[in-house]
Amino acid sequence: MIAPTQSSAAPNVSAALASFEAQWLARESDALSALRAQAMQRFLELGLPTMRDESWRYTNLRELAAQSFVDAPRAAAGAVEPSASLALTGGAERAATVLMVNGHPVLPRTMDSALKGLEIISLSELSRTEPNRLMDYLGPLPEAEEARWRLLNTALFVDGLYLKVRAKVERPLIILHVATAEIPGTAAYPRVIIDASASSSATIIEQHVEQGSETPLCNSATLLVLERDAELEHYRVFATGNRSVHLDSLEIRQERGSRCKQFTVALGGALVRASLDAYLNQPNAQLASYSLLVGHEARHIDCVNVVRHSARETSSRQTARSIASGTSRVIVNSKVVVDAGASHTESQQSCHGLLLSPSAEIDSRPQLEIYTDDVKCSHGATTGRLDPNMLFYMLARGLDRQTAQSLLIFAFLADVLSGMSVASARAAIESALICRLPDSQLLREFR
Amino acid sequence: MLKISGLSARVAGKEILKGIDLEVGAGEVHAIMGPNGSGKSTLAQVLAGREDYEVTGGTVTFEGRDLLAMPPEERARAGLFLGFQYPVEIPGVNNVYLLKAALNAKRKAAGEPEVDAYEFLAFVKQRMKLMQMSDAFLSRAVNEGFSGGEKKRNEVLQMLVLEPKLAILDETDSGLDIDALKVVAQGVNSVRDPARAVVLVTHYQRLLEYIQPDKVHVLSDGRILMSGDRSLAQELERRGYDWVRESKVA
Repeated sequence: MIAPTQSSAAPNVSAALASFEAQWLARESDALSALRAQAMQRFLELGLPTMRDESWRYTNLRELAAQSFVDAPRAAAGAVEPSASLALTGGAERAATVLMVNGHPVLPRTMDSALKGLEIISLSELSRTEPNRLMDYLGPLPEAEEARWRLLNTALFVDGLYLKVRAKVERPLIILHVATAEIPGTAAYPRVIIDASASSSATIIEQHVEQGSETPLCNSATLLVLERDAELEHYRVFATGNRSVHLDSLEIRQERGSRCKQFTVALGGALVRASLDAYLNQPNAQLASYSLLVGHEARHIDCVNVVRHSARETSSRQTARSIASGTSRVIVNSKVVVDAGASHTESQQSCHGLLLSPSAEIDSRPQLEIYTDDVKCSHGATTGRLDPNMLFYMLARGLDRQTAQSLLIFAFLADVLSGMSVASARAAIESALICRLPDSQLLREFR
Repeated sequence: MLKISGLSARVAGKEILKGIDLEVGAGEVHAIMGPNGSGKSTLAQVLAGREDYEVTGGTVTFEGRDLLAMPPEERARAGLFLGFQYPVEIPGVNNVYLLKAALNAKRKAAGEPEVDAYEFLAFVKQRMKLMQMSDAFLSRAVNEGFSGGEKKRNEVLQMLVLEPKLAILDETDSGLDIDALKVVAQGVNSVRDPARAVVLVTHYQRLLEYIQPDKVHVLSDGRILMSGDRSLAQELERRGYDWVRESKVA
C-alpha cells in the first residue's frame, strides 16, 4: 500500500508518476485535502495505464511516462492571443468568453450582462467559502480504472471554474482554455464544474488552444450536472498543436427529464485521449453525444465513451465520425450499459470511420452491456475509404479530384455538423476543418 | 466529333469490348442498342473514363484529342457528359451545389469567369421546369431518396445545365413510365443542335419513338454487329436481337 503523505517512488516507478507525486506532496492543504489524498492514493495504486489495460490497448504512454512534470505557470508569459483560437464569436449569437490559463480562471470584475442567469465562481474561492458544496461535485471518487486521470486531476487541480446555470441563458459561453509554457516538462490540471439547475438551459463551449514556446501536458476534467428538466449543449474542442498531449475526462450526471447534447471535436493535439462517462440516473434523461475526430499528420486521437442507463425510459444516441489521413490514428470505443431495472431504455451507437491514406488507422468498437429486458438498443460501425462510385460520379461532372474528395469528407461528417445548434460554432468548426483537409476554395461556399 | 477505332476493354479481367468502331459527327443522334450483357454500359463508362475499366486496345478521339489519355474530370470539362444508368446517391452533398461546382469547373477550364449565383439559380430553375422537377430538388442531397424516375430526370437536368458537346445517355429510359419518358425525351430533344451530338444507349426501341436517331447500331458480345437508320430499331423491335445474330451468321 502506498502512503499518500510520503514519497513512494520505488525504482520501477516511472519518472512521470514520481513527479505527479512530488507535485502532490508540494501542495498546500485545503478544505479538500482528505478527498484529494484519497484520489492521489488511488491514482498511484493504479499507476500509469499500459497497453495491457483494455481501454488503453491502442494508446501508448511510454513517452509520457519517461518525462517529469512540474506545475505549468498560472499566467501566460505575455498577453493571451491564442493564434489557433476558433473565431467562435460573431453574429446574433455573440458569445461571452471566460479565459482559463493552464486551468486558472481569469474572471472579469463585472460580469457581462449577457451572462445573467449564470453564477460564475472560481473553484479556489468555492473551496474556501462552500467546501461542502464543492465536495458534493468531486465525490464520490470513481472506482473505475478508466477514471484514473480524473483522480489525478482531483488530487492536483489548483483552481478551476464553477458555473451554476440558474435560468435559460440565451447566449453561448465560451471557456477558452489556453495551455502555455516557456519550458518543457510542465503539466496543467484544468477543472470545470457546470451545474444546470432545474429547468434551466445553456450552451457552453470549452475550447482548448495553446500559446507560447512549449505546451504543457494537459490533464483536464469537466463535470456536467443536469438537474430536473435542465437542457445543456456542451462542446469540447481540442485545437492544440502537434506537440501537445491532452488527457481529458468528461463526466455527465443527468437527472429526471434532462436533455444533454454533447460535442467532442478533436482537431489537434499530438495525443488526445478524451473520455466521456455519462450517468443517466433518473427516468426520461436524454443524451445525444457527437464525436468529430479528425486525425491528420501523425496525430493520435483516442476517444472512450461509456453511457450508463440506470433508470427507466432513458435514451442515448452516440454519433461518432472519424477521419484519418497521413499516419494518424483514431480510436473510438463507445459502450452503453443498461442496468437492471432500466427498462424501456433506448440507445443508438453509430460509429463510422473514413480512411484517407493507406498508413492511417481507425479502430471503432461500439459495445453493449444489457442487464434488463424490454430495451431498444442498436449499434453500427463501419470504416472504409471514400466510395469510388461517388467519387467517379463527381469526376464525371468535371469536379477536380481534391474538391470531390473534400465534398465527400464533409458529407461524411454531416450527421455531426448538422446536430450543432450554435451556427457560429458550427461555422468556426467547419472552417477549422477545411484547413485540415486537402485545400479547396470551393469548400468555403459549400455550406 | 467522336471517333472510336478498334476499342477493346476488360472489366475485372473479363474482355467485354472486343473491337468497337464508331463515328459520331456533330449534330447527330446515335442509338446503341443491344441485349443485356452486350457491353453497352461498359462502352459508356469507358468513354467517361471509369478507372477500373481497363482499355486493352484501340483509340478514341474526341474533337481530335486523345480521349483515353484524359482523366474523367478533363473529359467532362472538354464537353463529354455521361448520364448514368444508375445515378449515384451522395448523402450530404447538395444537388444545386454539385451542379454549380460542375458548371464552374467547366467554365474555369474554358477560361470563363464563375457563374453569378443569382443568374445561375434562375437558369437552373428554368431548366427544372422543363424537366417538371420542383424547386425542392435543389436543396436535396444528390439523388438521395429520389425515385428511379426522379434520378433519371436529375441526370437530364445536369445535362441541360452543363450543355455538353457530346452526351452519352446510358439507359436513361429504363424504369420510366410513359409520362416521365416523354419529359426525358423532351429534355434530350431540347439540346439537339448542329454543334452537339447525343449517343443514346438503350435496350428498347420505345425511347426512339420520342427521340429520333440519325443512326442505330446493334451491339452484341462486345462488337457492333449492324448499323443502320431509324428503321433498324423498328425492325429489331419486331424481330428481336436473335435476328441480328442469325442474319450476321448467315
